Amino acid sequence: MSATETNTVRITGFWSGRSELIVPALVLVLAGFLTYGTATMEVLGNSVPGPQFFPTIVCVLLYVVAFAHAFQVLRTRRFPDADDDGRGAEVSSEMLSDLGDTADGRITTRSGTRPRATGRPQAFSDWKTLGMVVGAVALFNLMLPVAGWILAATVLFWVVCRALGSKRPLFDLSVSLLFASAVQLAFNAGLGLNLPAGFLEGLL
Amino acid sequence: MEQLTLLMEGFSNALTPMNLLWVVIGAVLGTAVGVLPGLGSAMAVALLLPITFSLDPTAAFIMFAGVYYGGLFGDSTSGILLNTPGNSSAIASTFEGHRMALDGRAAKALATAAVGAFTGGLLATTVVVFFAPTLVRMATAFGPAEYFALAVFAFLAISSVVSESVVKGLVALGIGLVLAMVGVDGPSGTIRYTLGMPQLFDGLSIVVITVGLLALGEVFHIASRIHRDPEATRVKTKGRPRLNLADIKKALPAWLRGTAFGVPFGVIPAGGAEVPTFLAYGTEKRLAKRRGDTEFGTTGSIKGVAAPEAAANATAGTAMGALLALGLPTSATAAIMLAAFQQYGMQPGPLLFERSGALVWTLLASLFVGLVILVVLNMQFAVLWAKLLLIPRHYLYAGIAVLSVLGVYAISSSVVDLWILLAIGLLGFMMRRYKFPLAPVLIAVILGPLAETELRRALTVSEGDLSILVDSPVTITLYAVLAIALAISAVQHLRHRARSRSSAVKLDDDELVGA
Repeated sequence: MSATETNTVRITGFWSGRSELIVPALVLVLAGFLTYGTATMEVLGNSVPGPQFFPTIVCVLLYVVAFAHAFQVLRTRRFPDADDDGRGAEVSSEMLSDLGDTADGRITTRSGTRPRATGRPQAFSDWKTLGMVVGAVALFNLMLPVAGWILAATVLFWVVCRALGSKRPLFDLSVSLLFASAVQLAFNAGLGLNLPAGFLEGLL
Repeated sequence: MEQLTLLMEGFSNALTPMNLLWVVIGAVLGTAVGVLPGLGSAMAVALLLPITFSLDPTAAFIMFAGVYYGGLFGDSTSGILLNTPGNSSAIASTFEGHRMALDGRAAKALATAAVGAFTGGLLATTVVVFFAPTLVRMATAFGPAEYFALAVFAFLAISSVVSESVVKGLVALGIGLVLAMVGVDGPSGTIRYTLGMPQLFDGLSIVVITVGLLALGEVFHIASRIHRDPEATRVKTKGRPRLNLADIKKALPAWLRGTAFGVPFGVIPAGGAEVPTFLAYGTEKRLAKRRGDTEFGTTGSIKGVAAPEAAANATAGTAMGALLALGLPTSATAAIMLAAFQQYGMQPGPLLFERSGALVWTLLASLFVGLVILVVLNMQFAVLWAKLLLIPRHYLYAGIAVLSVLGVYAISSSVVDLWILLAIGLLGFMMRRYKFPLAPVLIAVILGPLAETELRRALTVSEGDLSILVDSPVTITLYAVLAIALAISAVQHLRHRARSRSSAVKLDDDELVGA
């Protein structure tokens, strides 16, 4: 099996296998925002317990889990498993393998793959593709009020297609345009909801 | 029997030509998203919610009923043919199902799965029809403390007991609770965490959160991996899915055992069908071992497909009962259904049967109708459904991206919502990337406001005395069961940690850095 090949990991510095620290960092930011918001809240009414009561509990929970998680990540480096599609997180695979009597196989994650310091450097996530898709959604948000639904949605569809590896730009363009127009038609004519027409208004 | 009269009235509403059309549309959509890996009924309902706003609630819920079960019918198809289950609820039936497909019995496996899903759903929905009024009577005695206990039970069961990592589950829960608190606080009218933006006074829309987490987050996740992961190879199917008498004889006990596992799990907030499907699969495996069945694990056993499929749909069936009668969502999909009710200004729970009785019984009747349509769709056209897997992935995900922004824009025509959607999509990506469970976020967003209101109500009544929270037999039982479950899962985690530690490769940091 080529699993050992794909699972090659490299340790090159402090951050290898510790990029997950971004999660507790963001959770701490969130907790900080919550603390600030709770402390400066303009409380209306005088009910006891008031609107600050529950947020305080949640806040304490966030601080505790953020530190616990950061501690766990610092103690053991975590590397993504290339065989795993990231969807197995909902339910403990250990518990499922006990219940299902499946000692081996895909639901149990492999342990003990030795990280290597050599090997082809390749980020686990494909940041370029992801960046294009995120950018496409951001572009859509900016374009919608100005250019209208059909143009904005066509661009979004087309860019996502390109990013995900389509090789036929012109054909994609017609598919995008068709899809966006069909949605516009279905919405305006069928459901009576209005999507912005943008500067094409009057031309259509 | 009062229920039967009511159900018959429901049938007479559900069987009008227009409503039949909605069930069929729902069933087709549900099967389609089920077949496609990574998409599920929760996402489908979330995307449909804003679009169905202009329909009357009955039509919308009839359609959701088709989607709800359809996802579970479809998910085994890609599991059997591609070895990539459409949803986590189909992992257990994929083990034996794919073996059968490799053995040239793909059509038989598909048929077993479809009939299994039908049997499980049918029996569970029947149980709901007969026991829902009992649950409702129980729930009418619930006060604030009981509802708070129920919410805490759901929070901790989904985030801690069943999740891979307790800490990650609780992080997800916390994020969900924060998202739920944005907006004007109901009881006091205080404005909370809106950054002064009037658009946020009504809180973050549940549609934005679910579409962001489940649809856009999935698109981002796929984008980050599409050029990395190898394509799955498909097993060709020949012939129409048929079961002969010998197959049915073999599968029938497994269908019934699977249903028996699924029915109780629908009422327990254990995050959906994973636990009962694996329990059912494990039972079949142990029984096969005892009987000396050699098919299991080699050429693929029909029983190993039948039991988990029945369990999955039985869970979904009783989950619907718990949702309607108690207002308690036990899985992510049920949580979205609850959100759907709230969008239409209805609150599932005991009062729903009183206030919108006609709708509830029509919904239950259309669950039956949906099952019949689904079993026909999946038996006759299983090969056709598999063709969906031929849609180029870039068109599929581009379409989902467009439908996500469409759905979110359609609810309130606000660009602010679109930016929030993007942010939540990135949150969904990050959670997938670092393997955080998503279900606790959804459950927290949906049950968070209820938990807060009921907790404050209970404490106001008792004038701050915390003992009111554990004052009744119902609350004591709930907390006790929760404590036992937490203890069992803690033992489980510790045992596995000890085992993996003893077998893990020892790593030395200094040796590797810069080597």
